[in-house]
Order: sequence, then structure tokens, then C-alpha cells
Amino acid sequence: MKKSLSLILSLILLLSLVSLPALAEEEIKLQVWYAVSGTSGETFTELANRWDAANDGVSLELSYSGNSGDTATKVSAALLSGTEPDVALMYAGPLYTGARGDLRMDEWYQAGDFDAEDVYEGMWEYCKFAGKVGAVPFGISTQVLYYNKDIMEAAGIDMSTPPATWEELYEVAKQAVEKGNINNVPDFAGFEVSDPVWLIKSMFMQNGNPVVEVHDGEVVPVFNNEKAVEVANFWKKMVDDKLMPAGEHNNAEKKFLAGNSAFIAASSNRISRWTTTEFGLGAIEMPTFGEKSVALGGNVLVVLTQDERRAAAAKELVAYLASAENQAEFALKTGYLPTHKSALEMDSIKEAISQNPMYNVAFSQLAYAWAYTHFDEMGTMDMFLWTAVNQIEKGAKTPQAALDYAVEELIMEMED
Amino acid sequence: MTSVRKSQLNRRPWLSTILLYLGVAMMLFPFVWMILSSFKTKADVYAYPPRWIPSTWSWDNYQKVFDTIPFLRYYWNSIFTSVVQTFLQVALSITAGYALTRIEFPGSGLYRRLMQSSMFVPAVVTMIPLYLTVASLRLIDTYAGIILPQIETAFLTMLLMSFFASIPDDLVDSANIDGCGYYRVLTNVIVPNSSGAIATATLFAFLGNWKSYTWPLIITNNTYYRTLPIGMKYLVQESSSEYQVMMAASVMAILPILITFMFTEKQLVRSVTLTGMK
Amino acid sequence: MSLSARKIQIGRKTYRLNAVLVGWSLLLPSLAFMIFIFVIPLVQVISLSFSNFSMITGTGTNIGLRNYRYLLNNDRFWNAMFNTVKYAAFKLTVDTTLALLIAVMLDRNIPGKRFLRASYFSPVVVPVVASSLIWIWFYDPSVGPFNQILSFLGLPTSRWLFHENTALLSILIFSVWKGVGYNMILFLSGLQNIPDSYLEAARMDGATEMKVFFKIKLPLLRPITSFIIMMGVINSFKVFTEINVMTPDGGPLGSTTLIVNYIYDQAFTSGRMGRASAAALLLFVVIFLLTELQRAINAKKHVDLV
Repeated sequence: MKKSLSLILSLILLLSLVSLPALAEEEIKLQVWYAVSGTSGETFTELANRWDAANDGVSLELSYSGNSGDTATKVSAALLSGTEPDVALMYAGPLYTGARGDLRMDEWYQAGDFDAEDVYEGMWEYCKFAGKVGAVPFGISTQVLYYNKDIMEAAGIDMSTPPATWEELYEVAKQAVEKGNINNVPDFAGFEVSDPVWLIKSMFMQNGNPVVEVHDGEVVPVFNNEKAVEVANFWKKMVDDKLMPAGEHNNAEKKFLAGNSAFIAASSNRISRWTTTEFGLGAIEMPTFGEKSVALGGNVLVVLTQDERRAAAAKELVAYLASAENQAEFALKTGYLPTHKSALEMDSIKEAISQNPMYNVAFSQLAYAWAYTHFDEMGTMDMFLWTAVNQIEKGAKTPQAALDYAVEELIMEMED
Repeated sequence: MTSVRKSQLNRRPWLSTILLYLGVAMMLFPFVWMILSSFKTKADVYAYPPRWIPSTWSWDNYQKVFDTIPFLRYYWNSIFTSVVQTFLQVALSITAGYALTRIEFPGSGLYRRLMQSSMFVPAVVTMIPLYLTVASLRLIDTYAGIILPQIETAFLTMLLMSFFASIPDDLVDSANIDGCGYYRVLTNVIVPNSSGAIATATLFAFLGNWKSYTWPLIITNNTYYRTLPIGMKYLVQESSSEYQVMMAASVMAILPILITFMFTEKQLVRSVTLTGMK
Repeated sequence: MSLSARKIQIGRKTYRLNAVLVGWSLLLPSLAFMIFIFVIPLVQVISLSFSNFSMITGTGTNIGLRNYRYLLNNDRFWNAMFNTVKYAAFKLTVDTTLALLIAVMLDRNIPGKRFLRASYFSPVVVPVVASSLIWIWFYDPSVGPFNQILSFLGLPTSRWLFHENTALLSILIFSVWKGVGYNMILFLSGLQNIPDSYLEAARMDGATEMKVFFKIKLPLLRPITSFIIMMGVINSFKVFTEINVMTPDGGPLGSTTLIVNYIYDQAFTSGRMGRASAAALLLFVVIFLLTELQRAINAKKHVDLV
């Protein structure tokens, strides 16, 4: 009795071993995690489902993975236990491929799988870890400068020739503070920014001072050089002259939407979200210190599975999602940027631009958008930069001292 | 005897009454605002000067909650996991609390120390190691994976212990004389005499489970198993641009708890009530 | 000899065998969960704390005590610790006093008692994320109602969450609002627990309400009070979510960076899980010492009740 039972059991086991790969041959189920919600989340799942429907033999399981912080936690935990998704749409994706020595994305990129030529060079920089492509851009944005048309009118500011340099913006913002406070609020802002670290990086670059440099493969922070301190001094002047509140950036967006701020630097994806403002909304290209330049931000797609067959399917999915047409569609629905140069020739994009000139502003910035390569301490760097900006605004440290300290601290972290 | 109590009670403490009602305005103010906001339009939310009353009353935000997330699915999952977790936590805490306060046995002091220290470590660092264990047990995307790692009993056990300890020894002794063993004392003396404390513990456990966010998020991928707080996060993620929808979802999320509380609060604040004791 | 009468000796003490068996059988399920949820992860956290394990690369090597040395010499760590102590001290005092006061007042013959109890408890049930959003709006320096009321009364207004002197205080006010109902319910059930006969006897002797409170109610509330204080210490040292929602960047000049926020940043923003584990263990030691201190004070002050 016992013997026959164990025989049957081992037979079943054997059968299942034989049949499992056979089954897998027929159907692959790809796990896809995405860190975007709202319209972006809906559009992303719509595109993915379209690919799912068109591909027999592969099906998708889409899963919202929380905001960028939650997703990072989830992905790192999953990678440690071997339960990672096949594909993820997330922030700082190259840290989860390139930093772990996974160079497949770069191989595919080299092989021309992702329209390498057609995608903006800056976006590829945004996808690199230590000089190698580790992700594909998806849902990228830059900051643009939005303004309140009602305030401009009240202050007598003519925006048909918009301020092109920061000095010009300074003058215009001052005028807005003096004459444009239409709601009569006690702390009207001429200029605000919701993500100061993102903006100050762009401004460093505009003044000819990169954030980090790579020497012999080593990342070196250089944002305390003379040119960067100049930028920080200007920043301080905006605060001292009461054009920008000190350290209230978390409130910036609300203030602007309430009509109590003349200008705000914010992500281009707000174009599709701020559709019901009670005032006239306009946007212009970022002012500059000379060189036009804006830092890229946003999400990227990564393939994480180590299984070859799944990876092949995952690569197809990523290539589909990141194609010129789909990127254009995603951009128009969400206000993120199209990743392909050829998108600007598409009828849909042209039409959108003619109907809403703000798209034109966002899309023209693509020509000079840039990024620095990913490195282990980039999260730490942003934290230190935030502290430095806060100290500068509050007058706790001079711009030079604050930036010096941040660089010093960062170098220590890198060496640790 | 009771007449003294009566006369004491009949004198209304007016000062306390006035103070308490003043305080209540402060406590409820945010609520009123939440409910009002749930009916506002996006423009109302950001309007200046602030608009207290929605410009038009509509259920659009509530509708939007249902359109954006599988609200009822999440709701069910939250109720199911919270109820099971709460039940397990309370049952384990009653037995452990009883053993630790009423029975003398070796190792109880050690366990008490261990239990207390389990509350000293923030979940932020234990989360990843716990995830690795749960993943190796293949519990990702299962109810067991959500529920079992959240059966923390230290707080509840200690809460119940402070009540169990205050049950007079005579009650237990007289039960012993009637021939009750340890288990019978638990079911016939301890539990009935701590119904209020157990109700309080149950409420606290349920509230803790109901709001749990990070663990269910990292341990589930499938919408089928996901809970309400994850859905709420989906609504606010993009720089709280869907503020009013979030408020509508919050109103719906807390309504059942508030209603349950209203009906059971009398039970909650009542503790040892055996006649003859009071 | 029956089972329940049999004795066993462990160390210097004798126990009834039956008590030992029943005790452990009742404790076992809790112990199993304790091992699964706490002991196993803790062992891993301890070993991580001696490594430079990185969440980014998923690897690490043993580096001995370097994480501990780093933390003990790091300004940001000490700043976070100091802020946490400030937070805990304030929260504990105000929260406990206020909760006790409200509970005592509610324990009397107040019209609309049930409504009042429910109202004071209601903030506890609102999800932190939703209630923080509401309070952020209350604190808005230009359009928030707090400043509107202050300027209406002719008082100076405040930058609330945006000024280094008021940011932590603003969060504290919020968390007292949010948490006072929790402790109030505990005090209330403790008060209901006091046999009426004690109070009546005292009142018959002509004791004032004040005297009844200090001489009878307060001593009899001791077990629940010490529980509330202990939980208050533990929870305020571990507070995270409300801080993170209200001041996601650590607050003006780092004034609202508390210790768990620091640990979170180390673990997930910088990916340094080893260092975060070490910081968590240092926090463990601090909470442990504080609860031991409380235990010692309690033992000293212990009075035999009744």
C-alpha cells in the first residue's frame, strides 16, 4: 500500500516536472509595476493593455506600486528575494539595473532596439548608470515657467516678449509684486518653485557649472564652484528682495493655484492637470543665465527579470511602450514630453501645439534638456542640496558655505 | 448610599460642560471641513479667498472615487484583513495577557521583556527582513501574506494586562473554590469581567489594521488583494491634485468606523461591571 | 497525587506543574508570532548593522562597528535624536494631561456625554494622510484659518510649518489633536473601573472633588497611567507618518527631522540599510533605557492600593 502510494506520488511529481516547461512554453505572464497614478496611470495601463491584446502567448499583470519612494522600496525588497517584476516604470531605474551590473539594456540599446537615434540624447543620459544605458525613457518632464495672466495684466507686464534671462525675470517679478497683488494677500510671491533642487541644478548648468563631473569613471560633485555660487547668490537675492518666500516651496503650487503667485517653475506635466484654474494660465521657456539648459526629470522603464525568455518578451513590451507613436500619445494625454525627435513632425503633436501653445514651450525645451549619469549617492545628493538651499534661503549659512558643506558631506559619503 | 451619588450627579458641572463643548468645536472642525471639501470642485479647493461652502453641491467626487479605483474590492479586502487580524490579535492577547498576569510560571518575566522590546524597533528596518521571510514562504499576493506578519500583540497584551491585573483576587479565588481550572477562570471570570477592556482593545486593534498601508503595498501586486489605503494613496499621489476626491474617499473610509463607534462606545468605556463590585 | 498539585522546581523557585503547562500553552501562539515577526527580523537587523549593506546594489560586507562610530559622530543623527526628545517630552506631557483632564470631566454628569465622547475620539479614526492634508491647509500662512483668526484678534501671525521655531510645535499640536482621544478612552475606562463605594465614602467624609481626584482617582489610575506613559514614550520615539506627510523634506533647517525619518532616509533615500539598522538599534537602546527608568520610578512610588 505504502509503496504504491509513493510510486504514484513520484509519478505525479515527474509528470508535473515534464509538463511545467511545456506549459510555460505556451503562456508567459509578465509582471509590470508602475509608479504613476491619475491620468498618467490610466494612459500607461491603456497602452500596455493594447500590447497585451495584440500579443498572443504573453499576457500582462499590471500593478500600481505606490509613489516613487514606495516603488523603490518595493523593487529593492523584491530584487533581494528574487520576486522582482519583469518590467517596472519607476524613478531612478538605472540604479536597479546598471548599479547591479545588469547591462542588458545597454546591449539592446546598442543593437538599436529602442530607436536609439531618434530619441533625444539628453534622455539617454538620463537613463545611464556609469556611462551605460540602464533604462528607457518614459514619462519624462522638464520644468517650465508658468505665469498668471490676470496678474500680468494688472501689473502691466507684456508677456508677448517674455523674460529670457533671470535678471529680466527678476525685474518682471518685482513689478508683479508691486502692482499685481490682485487678491491683496499679505505674502504675495513674485516667483516660486515647487521643486527647488531640480531648478537650481538647471540654473547651475545654465551658468556653465555642472552638478557633477565624471573623472576616470569617478563621479565628483562640483556644485560649489564659483559659477554655482553665483547662482546661489542670485537665489538669495530673490528671497532677500521679497520676490520669493524663504523655504515655503511645499506651499508653492497651492499658492500659485490660489492666484497669489505671479510665476512658478513646475513640471511640464502640469499642463494637462491645471485645466480648471480660475485665472488665465500661460507658460514660457525657462529663463537662463546665458546658456539655455533645463534638467530632465521623471520616470524610466526597466527590464528586471533574469529569465531569458521572459526578458525577450519584456524587451518587446518596453520597445512598444517607448515607441515614437506611443510616446507622443502619452505626452499629449499627460503633459509629459515626447521622447522622440520625430514626434514633433506628427500631426497629432502639431495640432496640440496649435491649440495649446504651452505644449510648444514644453516641447521646444527638449532641444537643450540634459541630465547627469546616475550614481549610488544621487538620492543623498538631492537631500544635501535641499538642506543647502534651505540654509541659503533662511540665511543660516552664506551661499558659499552652504554649498561647500553639501559638497564636503557628499564626498565623505561617496568615500564611505 | 446611592442617594449621595445621586445628589452629586444632579449638580451639573457647568464649567466642565462649557469647556468640553468649546473643545469639541476644535475637535470636529477638521471633520466638517473634510465633508465640505468632498463636495467641492477643483476650482473651489484652490480659490482665493478660501471658499468654505462648495460652489455647487454634487456627488461627482464620490463618483470619481469609484471610477478611479476598484473601491468596493479594496473596501472588502480592508474589512476582511482587518477583521481577521483583529480577531487573531485580540484572541492571542487575551490568552497571553491572562497567563502573564494570573499564572505564575517560569519564563513569563522573560517573555514580558521580549514583548516590550518588540515595540522598540521601528518597522522601517524590520520590514525588509520580514519581507524576505514571507517571500521565501511564497506568501506574496495572498491574504495570509498580508495578515500573518501583522499579528503584533505586544501593545494589546500589555493593555489587557493592566486591566486583568485589576480584577479582584476574590473573584478568581471564589471561582477556584467552585472547582474552576485555569481555562475555566479565563472564560468564566476574566473575559466576562473585562468586556469593556476587550472592546477597547478590539477597537484599537481594528483602527491600527484599518489604516495599515506600507506592508499591504509591498506584499501585494494583484489588485484583487489590495486594501483601501493603497487606493487612497493612488488618489493623492500626484501632488494632491485630486484633493477633493481624496476627501470623498476618506469620508467613505471612516464612515463605518464612526458608525460602529457610535453604537458601541457605551460598551467601550464600561469596564469591570460585575454587580457587587461596583 | 493529581497533576495540578505536583510541583516542580526551577532555580530557586517552585512552581505548580499545572501552572507551568497552562501558562506556556497559553503563551505559545503569541510567542510563535513574536519569533516570526520580531525575533527573526531583529537578528537580521543586528547583523546588517555591522555591514555596509546597500539597498541599491543588494550587497554588503562586514565593516565592524563603523556604522555605529559614524552615527555617534554625525550631526544629522544627533539633530534627529534631539528633535525626537523634544517632541516626545512635549507630546507626553500635553497629551497625557489633556487626556486625563477630558476623561475626568467626561466622567461626570455632562449633558450630551455620548456625543462628546464620540467627538473627542473621532480624530483618531481619520486616516493620517487625510487629516494631515487638512491641517496643512489650516496652517497655510496666507490663506489658512489659523492666521486669519490670529489677525482678526489683532495677534501676530505665524509661518507655522515653514519656520524653524514653530514647525515642530505645529506638528505637535496636530498630533495631540489626533491622539488625545485615544488616551482619553483609556483613562475613561480606568475611571469607570473605580468602585463607586470608594468615591461615596470619601464624599460622605466631606472631601472636595479636587481631593477625591488627587487622593482616590489618581492613585487608582496608576496602572493605566503608567501604561499610557510607557506607550507614549515608545510611540513618540517611533513617530513617522505624520512628520513625513506634513514636512516631507525634514522641515525648515532640519527642525522636524525625527529619528525614524532619519532612519528612513538612510535606508531608502540613500540606500544604506546597514547604517539605518545601526541607527534603529541605537534607538532601541534609548527607548529601553527610558522604559527601564520609568519602571524604576514606578517601583519606588508604588503604593499598596486599598
